Amino acid sequence: MLKDFVEYIAKGLVDEPEQVQVTEQRHGERVNLHLQVASGDMGKVIGKNGRIAHALRNLIKVAAMQEGVRVNLEIG
Amino acid sequence: MDRALRQLGLDESQVEIEILSQGRAGILGFGGEPARVRVHPIDTGPQPGNIREEPEPEDEDGEEDDEPQPAAIRRVHRAERGPRPDSDAVTTAAVDIVEDLLDILDIDADVNPRPPVTPGDGAGMVSAVIDIEGDDLGLLIGRRGETLASFQYVINLMLARKLHNKALVGIDVGGYRRRREESLRNLAGRMAERVRMTGQSVTLEPMPPNERRIIHIALSESPHVVTVSIGEGDARKVAITPRR
Repeated sequence: MLKDFVEYIAKGLVDEPEQVQVTEQRHGERVNLHLQVASGDMGKVIGKNGRIAHALRNLIKVAAMQEGVRVNLEIG
Repeated sequence: MDRALRQLGLDESQVEIEILSQGRAGILGFGGEPARVRVHPIDTGPQPGNIREEPEPEDEDGEEDDEPQPAAIRRVHRAERGPRPDSDAVTTAAVDIVEDLLDILDIDADVNPRPPVTPGDGAGMVSAVIDIEGDDLGLLIGRRGETLASFQYVINLMLARKLHNKALVGIDVGGYRRRREESLRNLAGRMAERVRMTGQSVTLEPMPPNERRIIHIALSESPHVVTVSIGEGDARKVAITPRR
């Protein structure tokens, strides 16, 4: 779910959705998500002053709470 | 500028950009003007005199839009955004995105669009409000509505990407925004009364732009007080002062 969630949003934000890649590593209750996008799309997932990245992290917490895990999102 | 490029059907590498004026945010949101840029297509075949001027929106996310502006200015800004997309298309796309996201999150909720009515709905700024109703949705609202604000922000970015325009929708969860607007209006009324009684200014807690806007509009017709936003960024707040 976490991975699908990030992937769905990221694909909706970028110019090259086919380049969106999300990898997920689970260590018990902790999940590390790594979001990668085309280099030209970095700004679309980070935003001015990291505003979009901040919003993404806020939303991912909802997904994490639904799953009962702690999540860390790395971008780039 | 993005709009100019889209209109010309070119990308940044195919044009030369000349900044005509930087644009100003204006004082307290009044008298601001958008940046003007001239975009010259370069060397992509014959295109005589294909030069246009495009106002560049000074502020993409509407951060400074909280001050109610004189109707004339507001109309100009509206017109500059170009043709409004079919609001049904915006609403349908927004509902689809919200439903997809709730589905992925395994959250069971009803999603219903409605027209914006009050300042808190973003009336005049959004084309629809998407109401999300269900059990235990506090998760989607977050502390002081922060998660809801992020949700709305991201959905609008996705909409802009999908529909190539700047149409906005509001998102509400369990009537949170409605209740918040009501309590902000009450707060505004009480504080305005205190200012009137004491002759002293009152400064409210820092608030996001949409909430400051509710306060400004609530007191805009008051004969006793005027409101201004002061401070920067997350610390920006409304001061209520006696009208002189």
